[in-house]
Amino acid sequence: MMRLLVRVVLVALFTFLPLPIIVVAISSLTASGYFTVPLQSLSLRWYLEFFTDEQWLHLLAISAILAVVVALLSTTIALLAALVIDRYRFAGRGVFESLIMFPLVFPNAALGVAFLGLLGLLNISGTYLGIALAHVIITLPFAYRPILNSLRKLDPVMEEASMSLGATPWQVLRTVTLPMIRPGLISAFLFCFIVSFDEATITVFLIAPDVNTLPVRILTQIQESASPVIAAIATFLIALTISIVFLLERTVGLELFAAPERGR
Amino acid sequence: MLVTLFVTGIGYLVVESLSTGDGPGLDNFMRFFERADYVAVLIRTILVSLLATLVSAIIGYPIAYAISRYRGNRNFLMMLVITPWLVSVVVRTYGWLVILGPRGTLNSLLLSMGLIDGPLRMIFNMTGVVIGLVHVFVPFFIVSVLAVLLHLDRALEEASQMLCAGPLRTFLYVTWPLSLPGVITGAMLVYLLSTGAIVTPLLLGGVRDGMLATQIYQDVLQVFDYPKAASMAIVLVIVAFSLVIPLQLLERRVAARVSGKGVK
Repeated sequence: MMRLLVRVVLVALFTFLPLPIIVVAISSLTASGYFTVPLQSLSLRWYLEFFTDEQWLHLLAISAILAVVVALLSTTIALLAALVIDRYRFAGRGVFESLIMFPLVFPNAALGVAFLGLLGLLNISGTYLGIALAHVIITLPFAYRPILNSLRKLDPVMEEASMSLGATPWQVLRTVTLPMIRPGLISAFLFCFIVSFDEATITVFLIAPDVNTLPVRILTQIQESASPVIAAIATFLIALTISIVFLLERTVGLELFAAPERGR
Repeated sequence: MLVTLFVTGIGYLVVESLSTGDGPGLDNFMRFFERADYVAVLIRTILVSLLATLVSAIIGYPIAYAISRYRGNRNFLMMLVITPWLVSVVVRTYGWLVILGPRGTLNSLLLSMGLIDGPLRMIFNMTGVVIGLVHVFVPFFIVSVLAVLLHLDRALEEASQMLCAGPLRTFLYVTWPLSLPGVITGAMLVYLLSTGAIVTPLLLGGVRDGMLATQIYQDVLQVFDYPKAASMAIVLVIVAFSLVIPLQLLERRVAARVSGKGVK
């Protein structure tokens, strides 16, 4: 009896998280656009509307390009930072590391205001360059963690062996270090991509009339009207996320999410 | 490249502190606290964030515990947590809108079953905001606790059971205290992120119960008063961290005690 109760509670808890995305996916298929319980007629018209609307496709392309650029930059910077932190002891090393991780815990609304000011100062407010810069800083913690973790797992003997066989530092990095931390690099890239692609809280502060991203546009669209085309776009984004999670699972495994905290 | 990163990191902090000092000092803050409605928003922000943290702990801990003890395909359970986590906040919040809205899934289900006469009001109030925030941030809690539970030495629990402690006592005196660092980290994350959330309170909250973050957003959008927004952002940061710093000290003490126990 007790076991059954525990089981029921657990199943309920585990449905809580996927619930809204399942409901969105179903509601995108209804003709009315709301998932009401006697399910009404099914149709794909909202998908048609999404994929034939130039404005939505334009934003989708922009967000995708932005996310790829941000993910590349962020992964590269995080790799350099992680190499420096892992290999060298220097004054302010701890401070440097906390600075990288800081955007993760900084209240997002305040971060948005801060970026707004910073971009104004750099004279790039309301540009994609500005948004990209903000996204790189936000995604850095997500890239840094997996890369550092895989660097820590690396056996230094490998690099020493290659060095003693006469490889230059650059060769060691390219032929030994990078291939061995590939899982870390892949997860860093995918993570940054998805975070940047989905970011809205901070980006709302940085957009301009003709500079916008897909999630921000969705956000304003929801506020303006309840057009069910949102459900179709949302389902598209969900499918994208699921494929990225699958990719992560196949390439590096999901255990990395529960990696132990650094040096306790 | 590293230097630029570093400078940007510091840059935004400097800009932020500067923008408040903008003009004659603390005037912006004085004006903030003179307005009763802003103070009310501030208090509401703290309450809602605390509530979201508490509910996240109640929901998140059993999930993390269940995953860590699951003997079957753990990856599947991880996926149930991680996939929704990586889906855009905008999409997930939209999902809750569809479920909890006046014409939404839950209301139509209850109506068709004859359990209620008219639609229940579940969003555009604090309930909706808390549900949304919990859903958005509970994965951070789960992952923090899971990171500790998965790397916990099972021998300690076995020892406790061999000494005739029941499962409940083992949990209360061994597992729970050992997992406390994860609980505290997770709670800190949920609290910090909740205070800075914009999307969820904007879409699920009522007009009259905004949070500090949405207030900042609306002020920036409507009257472009940067110093005012910056001072509000600073208030937000102070509120967020003033509750977190004591927790962090607590965490250190707990961690020290736990590792002390672990050695014995």
